[in-house]
Amino acid sequence: MGRIVRWGLGLLLAAGVLLAGLLLLPIGEWLPGGTVGDVPSAQVVNGTAFNALFPEAGPGEQLVYTQEKRGFSEARLKQGDSTLALLAISDTTTAPEAREKFAASSERIQGWPLVEQGPQASALLVAERFQVKVIGQGAGLDPAQRHELLDAFDLSGLADLQAPALPAKGAR
Amino acid sequence: MSATVLERLERLPRRNLTVLALKGIGTLVPGGWQNITSADALIAEVMGSEDPALIAQVRARADVLSRARHEGYGRALSLYDAVNRSQRAGGGLRLLANVGGAVPLLRRVADLTPTSDTLQAADLGLKVAAELLAFTQVNGLPGDSFGDFAAALADYGSEARVRMAALVCFDALLPLGDQALARLDELLGMVAQKDLRQLPAYAGMASLIPGRGEAAHLSFIRRGVDTWLGWAGGLVSGLGLSGQKAVQALETTLGPWQGRFDQMATFLDVFTDTYRHTGTQAVARRLVQRAAAEI
Repeated sequence: MGRIVRWGLGLLLAAGVLLAGLLLLPIGEWLPGGTVGDVPSAQVVNGTAFNALFPEAGPGEQLVYTQEKRGFSEARLKQGDSTLALLAISDTTTAPEAREKFAASSERIQGWPLVEQGPQASALLVAERFQVKVIGQGAGLDPAQRHELLDAFDLSGLADLQAPALPAKGAR
Repeated sequence: MSATVLERLERLPRRNLTVLALKGIGTLVPGGWQNITSADALIAEVMGSEDPALIAQVRARADVLSRARHEGYGRALSLYDAVNRSQRAGGGLRLLANVGGAVPLLRRVADLTPTSDTLQAADLGLKVAAELLAFTQVNGLPGDSFGDFAAALADYGSEARVRMAALVCFDALLPLGDQALARLDELLGMVAQKDLRQLPAYAGMASLIPGRGEAAHLSFIRRGVDTWLGWAGGLVSGLGLSGQKAVQALETTLGPWQGRFDQMATFLDVFTDTYRHTGTQAVARRLVQRAAAEI
């Protein structure tokens, strides 16, 4: 009798420790899935593919690449020591909500919808997937200058990028 | 891993010794230094807009990005944390050695503590290596060529000039003297593998440094320092930095200092977190620049 009780208690204790371990340990941290929005990185275009599509720097200007990650590449347009604008191409696979703002857009550049975000940022959605953005820095750029920069990106090259298929709608 | 980058930015102190020391060094750099501790203000500056809805969107995106482990923003911060802990521990030992020399019982501790220039050089090397590693964690490998990468590094440095000036002054010019940059390579050559192991930060960073074993890590650190030296030399000559000037600049905010330069360096090591403070701000700025482009 005593033995059964001892065994029972032991098993209960072991189960309790196991349960507590599962609940309390940060197991989520150790599992794969540390990607943005938990989208598998194979579905996101690598930022390297975007680099060649940035506009050429004008005379006296300089294009410096600053960030390159999966689904994102950013450069700054500099004149001497001052930064004129941030230029970026991103894959909206990890941020589907970013596509929504283009539904209401009426302006277009090379046929792609254009949206203004505040006084210094202009964004373009290419092939319903890639967002091209120009953000004026410091003294800022006026909208016409920003649109000119957007137009200078290799937009047709971007639209033709061999992109991994988007996940089916509603899957995420 | 729990706090996001922007939360950590907002927890930074607004006024303490760290901030005062950085303000002092900031007087040496054109444009000075601003202690940015408000995420909203940082976002508004990058976006050029005060629209609260837009700021909230950028912030939400930045939090998503900094929670994704593979993106490296959190990893960069833990690198800075490791270096900061090491700096405090090393500085504490040196402080003890300075005080302990006068107390008979503590004299043995003083004899044991590594106060040598070699160890200081290894500490600086580790900081520069941490800087390079954090750069690749935060920015990836920008551009298609090595030239692009070097340009990106230089650009990052000029965005954080006060950070770099503080690193040069606090960890090279003050403890090692004005010829520190010229001597650094020679000093690093004398760093033995066991010296590296004595640095607390090394244990935290070892897994992130490319190569296997201490010899490989040491050679990575030396190559990293070589890359950095050219740039840092330009900064020093461009701003005319020296130990003397650094102390004078610090005196404007911290008050008069009558000790030796290396004592000043020890004091700063123990009582300030300049490396982590400016590091958090630099990572937050890069993160916001990305989030602003992705919303």
